[in-house]
Amino acid sequence: MEFVKKTDYDYDIRLFKERRDVFWYGLLALALLVGPLFTPVYFLTLGVFVGIYVIAGAGLMLLSGYAGQISLGHAAFVAVGAYTSAVLQHWGVPFPLALIASGVLAAAIGLIVGIPALRLHGIYLAIATLAFAFIIAEILTRWEGVTNGASGIMVKTMSFGGWEARTSLDKFYVTLAITVLAMLAIKNLLRSPAGLAMMAVRDSETAAQALGVNLARTKLTAFAISAALTGLAGALYGDIIRFISPDQFTIGMSIELLVLIFIGGIGSLHGVVYGAIFVVALPQLIAGIKDYLPAYIAEQPGLQSAVYGFLLLFFILVEPQGIFGIWQKIKFYFTQFPFYKKGELRRNKSFAKAERW
Amino acid sequence: MDLLAIEDLSVSFGGIRAVDGASFSVRKGEVFSIIGPNGAGKTTVFNLISRIFDVDSGRIMFNGGDITRERPHRVADLGIARTFQNINLFENGTVLENLMLGRYRHDRTSLWQQMLFTPAVHREKRADRAKVEEIIELLELEKYRDSRIDGLAYGVRKVVEIGRALATAPSLLLLDEPSSGLNNEETNDLTFWIEDIKEDLGVTILMIEHDMSLVTSVSDRVLAMNAGRVLALGSSSEIQANPDVIAAYLGE
Repeated sequence: MEFVKKTDYDYDIRLFKERRDVFWYGLLALALLVGPLFTPVYFLTLGVFVGIYVIAGAGLMLLSGYAGQISLGHAAFVAVGAYTSAVLQHWGVPFPLALIASGVLAAAIGLIVGIPALRLHGIYLAIATLAFAFIIAEILTRWEGVTNGASGIMVKTMSFGGWEARTSLDKFYVTLAITVLAMLAIKNLLRSPAGLAMMAVRDSETAAQALGVNLARTKLTAFAISAALTGLAGALYGDIIRFISPDQFTIGMSIELLVLIFIGGIGSLHGVVYGAIFVVALPQLIAGIKDYLPAYIAEQPGLQSAVYGFLLLFFILVEPQGIFGIWQKIKFYFTQFPFYKKGELRRNKSFAKAERW
Repeated sequence: MDLLAIEDLSVSFGGIRAVDGASFSVRKGEVFSIIGPNGAGKTTVFNLISRIFDVDSGRIMFNGGDITRERPHRVADLGIARTFQNINLFENGTVLENLMLGRYRHDRTSLWQQMLFTPAVHREKRADRAKVEEIIELLELEKYRDSRIDGLAYGVRKVVEIGRALATAPSLLLLDEPSSGLNNEETNDLTFWIEDIKEDLGVTILMIEHDMSLVTSVSDRVLAMNAGRVLALGSSSEIQANPDVIAAYLGE
């Protein structure tokens, strides 16, 4: 059995709690830096996609998982990021500046979307963000002078000065660097007062307010940061798929991001990584096993969406903490072995939820 | 000196005048209790003070300033903390996180500093934690520090909520039925804590309470309300002997 012994306040503040955490994260960092040199291009590209989904997923996790504001329109922020970066690069802006601009513009639009969130909750907010995503798609289609309308635009390869990301390996390292920075920023935020305030708003707006939390500012901050990250992911997304058009950023993509945070484990940053790997790997897996399925299943056009739907239902009903929750349970089982009792990890039902003040 | 002054306060919901021309004032350093039958408007007065509801008419003065039109989160910034009748904790957080949120109004670092987690943020967090630990020690919450709220017993939650309000280092603490749902032993603890909060921390307490033995043992003054109006104000024994109060509780 394991006992946590805390000797100072910094234990609850620092990033790596134990020495073994430093070791394992160090090993992971080493694997991510050296491993790609020996990895086939196909897997490197998948790795880039995982990075992109981690960034966008972390953005949505901050907004929905921590601040409690549901969004069904996050594909629109991916689109804003992708288009901003693509158009600016066509105008000759170097990639790093175009990338920052994607984040900033997405954040600005996130603020605008956040304003209705000050009055809307739950399902109503979801519908409002959905409507917003349709508006963005419409603007991208109609504003032909800049976006080239429905026919879409080619995206220039990311470049800076004389350097150009020609290979998948270059793109992988660039994506990895941005992913790590983004995750670090979110992690820092979550252990700071601003992040705590977001969780407070999620759990009880009345109580948060009574402690001096400015609801409007906290929600708008969450929207802006979430949109900025999703915009950054969009810029990288445009670069890796090389061609973008308005019809790629559908409600399907928004739902994919929601599936990511739910299956990964709502309210956990580790979950975002698991969820991103899952979302990227699943279509590959389905493509891989298609040959072994009977034709009437394999040829169904909505096969992937159906699998998403079933898995989402499964996780919400059986394991609301997602893959992260499963991992926690396995870890708990082994650290407690042989003392683990059945039902030990079952959550208590809350019996005193305030309905009035 | 008056810390809080309620002047001719009224609010209606539909046709019901929940608070009807109530006036009273709370002196600095006292424990002031409000009693009254259900529906007397006690909690509504609290919700008006913490600005969850808008006032129809009248004024609320705090520390010499008018807070009648103040925004809700500003009320906390001015130094008014409260608990809720039905407990309003952050269910998915730990006890420690709930208490740390009490320190929110004292945090001064910017969002950018927090995203980079600069040394200033780190120092602030350590200082907040030290303050929170004082509260944990006072309320004997040590063994619940890392427990999630949704797994805690009702009595512990009540104490955590008081702790969270105290962590804001308020000058006025509003307690809405602190003893409801507590057993005798817990209520006894509460009696001592209220005295400690008043004497050692120098916090003025405005309390809604039904348990008359608790009210009698801690209160400097007691106010009785019925149907949104002030019935009587005085010491606990005066109030209990007041014929209007007896009539309000027992009927004519």
